[in-house]
Amino acid sequence: MAKRVLVVDDAIFMRNMIKDIFASGGFEVVGEAANGLEAVEKFKELKPDLTTMDIVMPFKSGIEATREIIKADSSAVVIMCSALGQESLVMEAIEAGASDFIVKPFRAEDVLAVVKKVLGEA
Amino acid sequence: MTMDMSRYLGLFISEATEHLEALGRDLVALEREATAATVDSMFRHAHSVKGMASSMGFESIAMLAHRVEDLVDAVRQDRKLLDRDLVDLLLSAADTLTAQVRAVAASREPDAAAPLLEQLSARVRTLTGHAPAATRVAQVTVLKPGDPPAAGAGDPGAPADAAGTPGVAAGAPTADAGGSAGSSAGGSGSDSRADRAAPGLQATSGVDGGPVSTALAVMPPASLMPPRDLSSPEALYGAPGARPRTDLPVEADPASSVAALGANLKVLASVDTDAPPSAPRWSVRLRISPTCQVPGVRAFLVHKRLSTLGTLVDLRPPLEELKAGRIPDGFIQVELDTNVGEAGIQTALRNVAEVEVVSVSQAVPEPPILAVTAQALDSARASADASSRTVRVRTELLDYFLDTVGELMLATARLREVGKVMPEVSRPALEEGVYRLHTLVKDLHDKVMSARMTPLSLITDRLPRAARDLARRKEREVELVITGAEIELDRAILDELADPLLHLLRNCIDHGLEAPEERLAAKKSVRGRVLVTVRRARDRVIIDIEDDGRGMDPAKLKASALKRGLITEEAAARMADRDAFLLSCLPGVSTAKDITDISGRGVGMDAVKRVVESVGGTLEIESERGRGTCFTLRLPLTVAVVHLLLVQVGEEVFGLPIAKVVGATEADPEALSRSRETALLPHGNGLLPVHLLEVLLGVPASPRPGFRPFVVMEGDAGTGKVALAVDRLLGQEEVVLKPLSRPLDLLPGLSGVTILGSGRPVFILDVPRLLTA
Repeated sequence: MAKRVLVVDDAIFMRNMIKDIFASGGFEVVGEAANGLEAVEKFKELKPDLTTMDIVMPFKSGIEATREIIKADSSAVVIMCSALGQESLVMEAIEAGASDFIVKPFRAEDVLAVVKKVLGEA
Repeated sequence: MTMDMSRYLGLFISEATEHLEALGRDLVALEREATAATVDSMFRHAHSVKGMASSMGFESIAMLAHRVEDLVDAVRQDRKLLDRDLVDLLLSAADTLTAQVRAVAASREPDAAAPLLEQLSARVRTLTGHAPAATRVAQVTVLKPGDPPAAGAGDPGAPADAAGTPGVAAGAPTADAGGSAGSSAGGSGSDSRADRAAPGLQATSGVDGGPVSTALAVMPPASLMPPRDLSSPEALYGAPGARPRTDLPVEADPASSVAALGANLKVLASVDTDAPPSAPRWSVRLRISPTCQVPGVRAFLVHKRLSTLGTLVDLRPPLEELKAGRIPDGFIQVELDTNVGEAGIQTALRNVAEVEVVSVSQAVPEPPILAVTAQALDSARASADASSRTVRVRTELLDYFLDTVGELMLATARLREVGKVMPEVSRPALEEGVYRLHTLVKDLHDKVMSARMTPLSLITDRLPRAARDLARRKEREVELVITGAEIELDRAILDELADPLLHLLRNCIDHGLEAPEERLAAKKSVRGRVLVTVRRARDRVIIDIEDDGRGMDPAKLKASALKRGLITEEAAARMADRDAFLLSCLPGVSTAKDITDISGRGVGMDAVKRVVESVGGTLEIESERGRGTCFTLRLPLTVAVVHLLLVQVGEEVFGLPIAKVVGATEADPEALSRSRETALLPHGNGLLPVHLLEVLLGVPASPRPGFRPFVVMEGDAGTGKVALAVDRLLGQEEVVLKPLSRPLDLLPGLSGVTILGSGRPVFILDVPRLLTA
């Protein structure tokens, strides 16, 4: 069964790109969220196998959302979507329980490699 | 492999544009009051644009956005850094970014904006004390091969160029443990092992680029390590939580890192441990993949994973170095006291990407190997996907929907008319069908209309920026307060209103508000105030644009209009003040003494009035000398459906917009009094000039003696109210307005056309223009 993914990013552009990358890798994107608040809600509702999490978002940052998701489910797999220059933020997210991270601009094969690794598929 | 990015282009353009507009808004708001929320919001916008542009491969946009992000980040750290010049610089960056995105939208190469970029970089240097980091841009297929990407920028594998970043002095701030006994003991121990590790580093340095496949250097067993007291980690760290945080930029110069290595081998222990001190010790050697873009974060992740297994007794390079990405050739050496065994260590690292476990060896014999819990993934998942979604639709498509629904309504009305002449027996079934169709179409129409509704903020959001620019140019202080911008209007009306609103704002600031000294003399605050208030009143939206400036002088306006022969002396004499203010909407009438490049002279007001009326709205002006002026726009919620009064002259039927109809009356034209050639109809306390519609339109009409109906209508500033003589009043109707196509749209006096249920086309008249044509 295809792994189920929740995509969190405040930019539709990024969400679409990430969705396409996951689709090309045989994953099923089951939900999207545009901010941290929505992310936590969607996570609880959808229980995805994997969540990709943007860091800089309105209302609630990706780090805070990750912290809450991990609190709700300590086995949750959250992959941070970061950019160069955000190293300290990603480390903060890792402290908060994020499993791994990918770096913008995304390359499909890099993203899929990280994700498959994290899910133990590679 | 590169991704085809072209399919994301449309989304990039629309989303980046939105972010940039919001950025501009935030900047203007920021200058008034620098709140943390606004700065954060600006950072998000700049960051999003950078991310999208770099994904699209638009290097110049990504770089500019990156610099803006840098500057906003600096302001985020210290809001005192924000001054007017910085706001100016950021605004021009936002403008340039917008222009660049537009260029991309027009399939042009965006301007590199090198001078601006240089300015921004210089500012980043002065504010942050270091040079800005390079911007990474994806290589994508959407771009025409323009300029070759700058060195290091286009290569996905290239490390961040931290040019100009002063290399953080080796051995500097890891010193939390510094001075303690444990640290110095560990120091000597690791030094000796560092010497031995050196050949291993040498051996692998040539393999750069390929994954490490086998154990290259098995480390000496940690039994060589001196025992150390770990019972009190606080002794090493100071208070828990006082662990240093690095916000250093990635430093990826291998040479300097290697140099740093020897000088700075420190032993760090992890605080978060629950392993008993008696747990067996393991030596783990790892390598971060050379293609990893942020080795520091990767190393930190590894550190975090291993920390959860037990007690980290040795880490090389030390944590601070790791976090800063200073990892010679990517090799990390860890000493770990844990009960999870080799399998546990392997499992903990198995799921971490870009990391190769080179070796895991036991430092103390006979470890009890315990079962480990693998990362558990809940496989039983709810299958429901109830995520609500939104889509973006092009405005043209919405126009098309509306147009088609309009046609459907007309076709339905036509069917109903046809039904009336059907034989009695077949009528009920047909009428029922038509009724059902009518309900559905009406419902569909409502839905399409609601999809077209857009908050006024779409256009009012531009006003603060415009106000700021105008005020700065005129060296005036202006406070602009906008309320009710969340109220929604049909998108088509909004699009039309953007320029008129801007023009009215200009008028307020440029002509309405006095110079500061003049305001002080009038005992007003130096800072002028312009209020833009939007409210909803039944099926209308009312926009007030109000200033607290000098106000208009009706006498001067009348004199000016008289001089130009636009009104008669007689008309001027009986003209009420509020009508006199509307004279400013006649071409050439303006009492402003100086012509400025900002709002010109009377030129724009007639255009404002015309546009407002073309969408079915009205413009009113209230003014009081010394107190200010208020422009009021009354607008329909939607252009598409208008209420018409249908009138007949001769054989022709015309529609008059009800919004402009004041009333109707009957009179005998022959009995009316006259002033020169014009018949005058008594109305209220005054007399209105009478126009015969058949004469205005050149329609053949059979003159009938006796009473005939008159429709009293609003005119414009020059004419005031008028009475139109018609042959018959046919009644009111709600119709779908269709714009005129060439060449009919060139005829003055016609504002649109509609088709009645009978199938008969009816022109809608623009009476003021008809009178002046």
